[in-house]
This record gives sequence, C-alpha cells and structure tokens, in this order.
Amino acid sequence: MARALQDGPPTEPAPEGKEWKKTSKDVDGHPVDHWILVDKDDGGPTWPARERLSLLNKDIERVDGAEKVTGAAVYSHDVRLEGMLYAVVLPAAIPQGTYSLDLDAARAVDGVVVAQDVAGGEVRYLGQAVAAVAGITPDHARDGLRALGVEFEAGEWALTREQAMAEGAPAIGRRGNRRSGRARGDSDATRAALESAAAAVEAEYTLPVQHHVCLETHGVVVDYRGGGEATVYASTQGTFTIGSEAAGTLGLRDSDVTAVVEHMGGGFGSKFGLDIPGDIACRLALEAERPVHLLLDRKGESSFVGNRSGGWQRVKAGCDETGKLVALDAEIETYGGLGRGSNPGLPYIYDAQEYSRVQASVMTNTDSSRAMRAPGHPQASFAMESILDELAYEAGLDPLELRKTNLSDPVYHRQLDRVAAEIGWSEHPNRTAPGTGDGWTATGIGFGVATWGGGGRPVCEVDVKISSDGSVTVEVGTQDLGTGVRTYVAAIVAEELGLQVEQVTPRIGSSRYGAANASGGSVTTACLAPSVKAAAWAVRRSFLEKVAGARGVDSGQLKCADGAVHDLSSAAGKLSWSAACALLPSEGVAERGKWNHKLAGNGVHGAQGAKVEVDLKTGQVQVLEMVAVQDCGLPLNHLALRSQLNGGMIQALGYALLEERVLDPELGLNLNPNMEDYKIPGSMQMPLMKAIVDEEDDRQVVIGMSEAAVIPGASAIANAVHNACGARVRELPLTPDKVLAALGRV
Amino acid sequence: MERFELEIPTTVTEAVDLLPASWDEDGGREAMPIAGGQDLLTVLKEELYAPERLVHLKGISDFGGIRESGKGLVLGALLKVASVAADPRIRLHWRALAEAAESVASPQIRNQATLGGNLCQRPRCWYFRSSDAPCLKKGGYECYAYGGKNKYNAIFGGGPSYIVHPSDIAPALQLFRASVKTQSGGGSRELAISELYTLPADSDVTRETVLGPDELIESVSLPAPEPGFKTTYVKAQERGSFDFALSAVALGVRAQGGKITECRMVLGSVAPVPWQPERAEQEAIGMKDEPESWAKIAAVAMEGAEPLSENGYKVPLTKGLIEKAFKRLREEDV
Repeated sequence: MARALQDGPPTEPAPEGKEWKKTSKDVDGHPVDHWILVDKDDGGPTWPARERLSLLNKDIERVDGAEKVTGAAVYSHDVRLEGMLYAVVLPAAIPQGTYSLDLDAARAVDGVVVAQDVAGGEVRYLGQAVAAVAGITPDHARDGLRALGVEFEAGEWALTREQAMAEGAPAIGRRGNRRSGRARGDSDATRAALESAAAAVEAEYTLPVQHHVCLETHGVVVDYRGGGEATVYASTQGTFTIGSEAAGTLGLRDSDVTAVVEHMGGGFGSKFGLDIPGDIACRLALEAERPVHLLLDRKGESSFVGNRSGGWQRVKAGCDETGKLVALDAEIETYGGLGRGSNPGLPYIYDAQEYSRVQASVMTNTDSSRAMRAPGHPQASFAMESILDELAYEAGLDPLELRKTNLSDPVYHRQLDRVAAEIGWSEHPNRTAPGTGDGWTATGIGFGVATWGGGGRPVCEVDVKISSDGSVTVEVGTQDLGTGVRTYVAAIVAEELGLQVEQVTPRIGSSRYGAANASGGSVTTACLAPSVKAAAWAVRRSFLEKVAGARGVDSGQLKCADGAVHDLSSAAGKLSWSAACALLPSEGVAERGKWNHKLAGNGVHGAQGAKVEVDLKTGQVQVLEMVAVQDCGLPLNHLALRSQLNGGMIQALGYALLEERVLDPELGLNLNPNMEDYKIPGSMQMPLMKAIVDEEDDRQVVIGMSEAAVIPGASAIANAVHNACGARVRELPLTPDKVLAALGRV
Repeated sequence: MERFELEIPTTVTEAVDLLPASWDEDGGREAMPIAGGQDLLTVLKEELYAPERLVHLKGISDFGGIRESGKGLVLGALLKVASVAADPRIRLHWRALAEAAESVASPQIRNQATLGGNLCQRPRCWYFRSSDAPCLKKGGYECYAYGGKNKYNAIFGGGPSYIVHPSDIAPALQLFRASVKTQSGGGSRELAISELYTLPADSDVTRETVLGPDELIESVSLPAPEPGFKTTYVKAQERGSFDFALSAVALGVRAQGGKITECRMVLGSVAPVPWQPERAEQEAIGMKDEPESWAKIAAVAMEGAEPLSENGYKVPLTKGLIEKAFKRLREEDV
C-alpha cells in the first residue's frame, strides 16, 4: 500500500509509563504520519458513549451564524480604526526583469501618506508585489500607485513547462529549472508485470493551476502608532503565526504584539504567517506611525498569495483478469511556479503489486504554489482514479468493483457501496462500458476515494471558567476558518456541564488567550477538541468539589445534567445552575486543559460519487448529483460536518469544470486575475448534494476530515463524463471545448 | 479608477451638449455617457479609459419606459434588463428577446443594467480588458487574441480585431428586425440593429457601433409581432449562469404542415457583430421540421467559419446549439 508520506515508526521502546501514539502533522501542507510519546492511560477524560451525548454528535447551529449572515461579524477586512490608512499594492506586469519607480511623485499626491518600493527593482515572477502606497482612502492610495509611474523592463522569462525546458531557457532555480525527486519502486519488475498484464492502459493527465479564491482576501489591519505595542487584525489560519513576524518587522518584542482573528473568511492553506501583504502593511505602518489597512484586491489575490500547483502525469497501469492491479508506472511533474508544487505520488491510495514512479518539479516565473486543501491529493486522485477507470473499461469490468478489488481497507468497501447505493449505480445501464446517450444528452456516474491524516498533537491550552453568577466562558487563541470551531468549543463545554450551547461564551481568535495550533492539515479538531474537553472535564470536577464542600456532601454524589446540579444522595437534591454557581467563591472556578491523546485519533477515508449530464451537442457538463460518505471518528457537529462535505464537493466541482489560471506565455500576462474570467461555481451550478457522515466508524476519538472532502470529487465528475458518453477528458477543467474534442467533434 | 466629474442632465439636448462632438486621439473619451454602469464601471476600474467627465443619463425621462406603438413596442433605452425579461407582452410576442434578457449575467446585474447599455457594452476579450495589454481595440497595434489565447474569440467576421460582441439582447432584437432611435448634436436617426454594429474591418477598429461620440440610444422599436413565427434564444456558457456566452442563437421559425416556411437566425458571441447566416435561413425554407434538416441547416450556418488556434470547438458547439434551438421550438410551447 502506497502511503502518501510518512516518517518511519519509532524503533526504540517507549519509556516506563509512556507509549507511542501515531498521529499526523502538517509539513508544507502535507499530512505526515508522526509518532509521539504519550502517557499511558491516566484515568482522565474520555468521550462519552454516543447515545449518552445530548449536544455533540448532533446538528448544532453555528453560534455566530446570525452575526455572519447579518454582516455584524467583524472580519479583518471590516476593521476601521481612528487615523487608519488604506494601502494598495502593485503587482508586476512582467514575469521577470527590472522596474523603476518614482516614490517621491507618489508621496506628492494629495492624500498619500507613505509609498514604498517592495521588491527592490527586481521582478522574479509574474504578479510579484513591487510597490505599495498608503493613503487616507483606497482611492487616494491608488492615485499614488499611478503617480509612481512604474516602468517595467522585461528580461527573459518562462511561464510554461515548454518555455522552462526549452534550449536556452532563463535559469529560474539555482539548481536548474527541473528538479527531480527520488525514484520509487521497482521499475524492472513493474515493466515486466505490465507486459504480462491481462489488460493495460497508458494515458497522460494534465492539471491546471487553481486559485484558493478565499472569500476574504489576504491581508491584515495593523494598529501601530509608534510606541511599544501593536495589534494585528489578521485574516489568517494561525493566530499564533503572526506575532513574532510582525514584531520582527515593527522592531517590537513578540510579547508586545497581539494578533486578533475574530472571524476570517477562508484560507484553504494559503494564509499562514504575516505573509507578503501583512509584511507590507507593517512596513507602511512603521513608516507612517499610523494604523494601516491592507486587504488585497482580486488582482493581488490572483498574483502573489499562492495557488494549487498544476501538473502532468503519464501513467501506465495493468491488471489481471479479476481487475487486480498488477503494475503501475508513473512519471509525475508538478508545476508550482517558483515553488515545487505537490503530488503525494501514485498509486496513491490503491494497492499495486508492482509500482514505479519518478517525480520532478518544473519551475516557472510564476507565483509559488502553496498548500491548498489537501495539497497534491486532488491532482494524484485525478490521474489515479482516471487510469483505474480506463483500465476497468479496457478490461470490461465494473469500475466500482475494480476499485474495491484494489483497496485492502474494508472501510473503503463499505463507503463505496454506500455511495453506489445512494447514487443508483446498480440501476445504471452503463456499468462496464460507457453509454452513448440519445444523441442530445447522456447521463453518467463516476467514483473516487480519499485519504487523510487529521490527527492532533499537544499544542492547545484552553481555559474554562465558571463564575459565581453562572456564566461560563471558554478561552483559547484558536482561529475559526469558517469550519465551526467556535461552535464546538462552546458545545464541548456545554455538554460536559449539562448546559445548553448558548449558556457558554466561547472567546477565541486572540493571541492573548491560550496557545493553539495553526489550522493546516485538518488538524484543528484533533488538536483543539481534546484540550477543550480536558479543560471542561477538569472544571466540572473542581466546580462539583466546591459545590459539594458548600453543601457538605461528597462531590462523587453530584452530577451536572439538564442545566442543573443533581445531588444523587438525596431524593429532593437538585440545584439549579445559578443556585449551584452562587455557592462558588467570588473568583469562580477555572481550569486549564491540555491535549489528551486518548481523545484524538488519526486517519480518515472517504468516498464520493458524481452523476452528470453531458450535453452532446455543446459539450456542456451539468453535475446532477454528488454523494460523499465520510468517516471522522466521533462527529462533534453533524451540521458543520455536512457543511464541510458540501464545501469540499463544491470546490471539487469548480476544479473539475471551471477553474484555471490562464496565462499568455508569449506576452507574459495573467489573463484572468479576476472573478469574471476565473470562474467558480455559483448557486445555479449546485447539484443535489448528499453529504453523509459514516456512522459505522465507531472510533471514540475526534479526527479532522475537511481536506479529504475535496479530494475525489473532480475525479468522480471526470469519470462520470466518460461513463455517460465515452468522452475521456484527461485535462481539467472539463470545459465544452475539451468535451467536444473528446467526443471527436472538433 | 481615476477622478471624473459627474453631470446629471435632465434633457437629451443637455446630455448631448456635454458629450464631445468628435472622437479625440485616443478614441473620444474625454466624456462618456453612463446609465446602469454595469459595464462602464468595470472599464473605469480596470483603467482602460479615464474620462474627465461622465454624463449620467438617468435624469432623462424620455429614455425610460415601455409604450405601445401600433402593434409594436417602443422600449426606452434606460429600461432595466430585468424589466425587458419580465414584461408580459415581450414574453408572449417576442419570446426570444425575453429569454435573451433573462439570460444576462445575474439578477443583481439585470436589475441595474439598462437596455441601451447592454447594446453598447464593450467586448469581454481578456486582452481588451487588461490594462497591461495595449491591444488594437485600445489604440495599439496588434490583436493579441489572433495569435494568443483565443478560445472565446470570433469564428466569423474577424480581422483585424477578433472580438465577439457580448450582448445577448442584440441578436434577439436583430431577429425581430428591431431598430434603435438615436439622438445626437446632428439630430435624430433610426438604425436597424444590423446597421448599428460594424465589423472591425469596416470602420474604426476601436469601436463596435456606428454611434458618434455624442450619439445616444433613446429607444428600441420592436415591430408588430408576426403570428405563427415562434422564437427562442439558446445560449451556451462554460458556467451555466452568470457567464458570457461561448455562443448563442436567436432563432425564429414558422412551420406549416411539418415544413419550415420561414426561418431567421442570429448568432451571438461568434463574431464582432450579431451574425446572421442568411444562406442557412434561405436553405431552411421548404425543409421538413425535423432533426436531419436542423443538422443540415446548422451546417450551412457554419459555412465560412474561420476558427483561430483555440476556438475551433465553437463550430460544432454553435451547430449543436442551432439544432437545440430548433428542437426547442418544435417540442416546447414557445
């Protein structure tokens, strides 16, 4: 079985009282299996059996939902401060070369306060931030940008693989434009197995560069007015990734910078650290000694804050008569601009008796790729799920069955069977050969599977306090990317104390609260929820001890449930919550919780299916239905989980049918740095979506799942298009031009 | 967007006086008219033009509303696209026009955009829309689409510019042989839709219409409905909504006894102007109203197409769209 990436398991035995626990960590956006030493069972908290939960493992409405939909929620973009300047950034209009500018001319513009050169006259990639201006309004700042009179002098560039690999291409990387990774597997054995395979196929698959398209663009508002302190309101995936970097730029001590992330509008892997916009904002603020608002426009967003790398994969695969994959050979190239791009490698999740692969990245003068929701995985999935489909039809086998034949983990079997049942595979006519439709339209079904780590580690420090007036607060510095963190932070505490969710006030998104992980690799739930649980568990025990002391009973006789404290020792013994809290000392009772390994797990699966209708006359594809079945250990909030699954399916639908950065390699231009020509799906493109939490997963631990949700959808859609009408499109997005070409109509 | 002065005249005469009498060096942009602003504001934000003055037409009462004229309709240029789509008379008698208007952009844009603005909108070509590409349309020397990324560009009527006209409404109006009434310093004139637009080879390549710098569309006249002439507007998009057309077809058919007795067809987003394949219209007459004929007619409509490097797919796509339009007219009650 080909694992995505992993550290080796530890070889030394665990010390006395400790044991090794496998979890996962995020390395450049990749989930890497990771072993840590944990205490053996310490009698601490455990998640209650599912039937005993009254809030968790059910649908919980977002605690900040009303605030968000009414616009009351304050995102970094919405922060307005006294004396604040607005900053704008100019992206380079050339892929490589030099530029000159006149900062004084910008400074002379009415309403402009600061103008700075950002890149020192050198352009290394198309769209690189080269200059920034801050003014009293965004319009004044833009007047300043124009006044800079930036003149670009283009050098030689490479924007495509072909340009980068051409004779005499400009050197982009220090070690050449193409960097090879380690070869894996046994190529001789694979070649031999391919030759003797009952059926074999070979194909090339190409992936576009996808943007993150965060609803809230990248940036910060930095509140610095000279002096020794600063506050950074950051649109970030890591509250605690801001402070030291901002302090460095502002010349302050780490402890004098507060990061605030009250709400943030999506990151998908692209928002860690102060980042380019944050650094520019701090430099402008340092010079102006005034607060600076710098949230990018869409052109900036499409230019220098990352993307999902493009790629190319040539795959040869062979199977025996039963569909068992006997050999797979892959050549993989990733296109990450100045970065390396990512691909976890083939045969990805599937078993192959023999496999071999070589992998390389080709650099171009474009923005470096970044982590994007399951980095590399949708790319690998597209090639792997497509080649498996091609092999199934070549061999005359059912592609669903062929998948199961090559997946050893039974969880995938049950999930695929569930998807197939929901989407109507057994009643579908084209199960071993593609259909042809009625001359006008054709309907098809396709499948794909996912994998992810989603494990936790000890980072979070959560404080829960019960006050004598009955109010309950839970504080931790974590950020809510829109996934519902704030809601489960409150709900876990409420569950523990027998309260309703709204009786607990969650306070998150500030570096003044307890430590929290950065949200990458879907690790937040498994990092944070156990710490919240531990804090809630500890505070309940302390609370009951205090109440028991005041009542002169044994705390073992007291129980929190149904918004009251029950005294099991006496028939009439029930104290209302406020009456019980009134027995507390004036400072209330507070406890800090840390991560507890017994509460977190690692490793999720996931299967998805798509049903599409292809317009045979125009090549348009409409996704009729998508089904996702996803495990995640103990589900904290079904509503939020389904929301993540829906979001994953929608993002995959965009990747499948619409999204693609388009460059003109000859002119050196980005042709769609906007949301008109860079198309994402809208409400009218939504299929019927069935988001199903796999309740047969009975692991009593929490695991992150969000990245798994985005992996198989595009593959399933592409396979469904082929299943409908025989059009095998091997390059995303599946736009009408490509579908018509695959139908042999162009 | 650069600073500009905003003038809000209340009469046509005032408005015309505020606009330049002749095109200046860079295409006559010292003052520009604005109505719904749905296109113009995007043009200004991308800084394709930086007019010193915008002349808002919203105060000109003569330019609004719908009135009946004989059996036809006169639509004010300031009518919202959403109102064109919703008018029950248009929906009943000029169906393709209602469908075309309904297919424009999104509800928010349809509620703001005007009929006149839709007809006068600038091309969507991404080279034209990029301030970093000094293309032919903006007074430069080259149409970058010709040898560049041209999947959305023209397959008919191209050269030296290869833009397509993006309006959905114009092909539908041309189908109904509608005309526009204009006002300028030189007086008033009436132009058929087919005369309003010009091919890049036939006139100043920086413009899409024959309108002068101070010439405003006052209204659109729809001739009397033609009983038995059934019409529809069919549009292919990459994204099924809120997307400009890859190709579009306004089709009108009269059939008797299973045979086509009259056919009119205007294609959108395939040429720099609404494109009327007249030979196909003529060949259709006398053919049976059935799939084999539709395919033949569509093939004739595509004769003479000259695709660029990346838009060859538009030929089968448009052909397929024409067939779909015929099918729709025969099978659905439109």
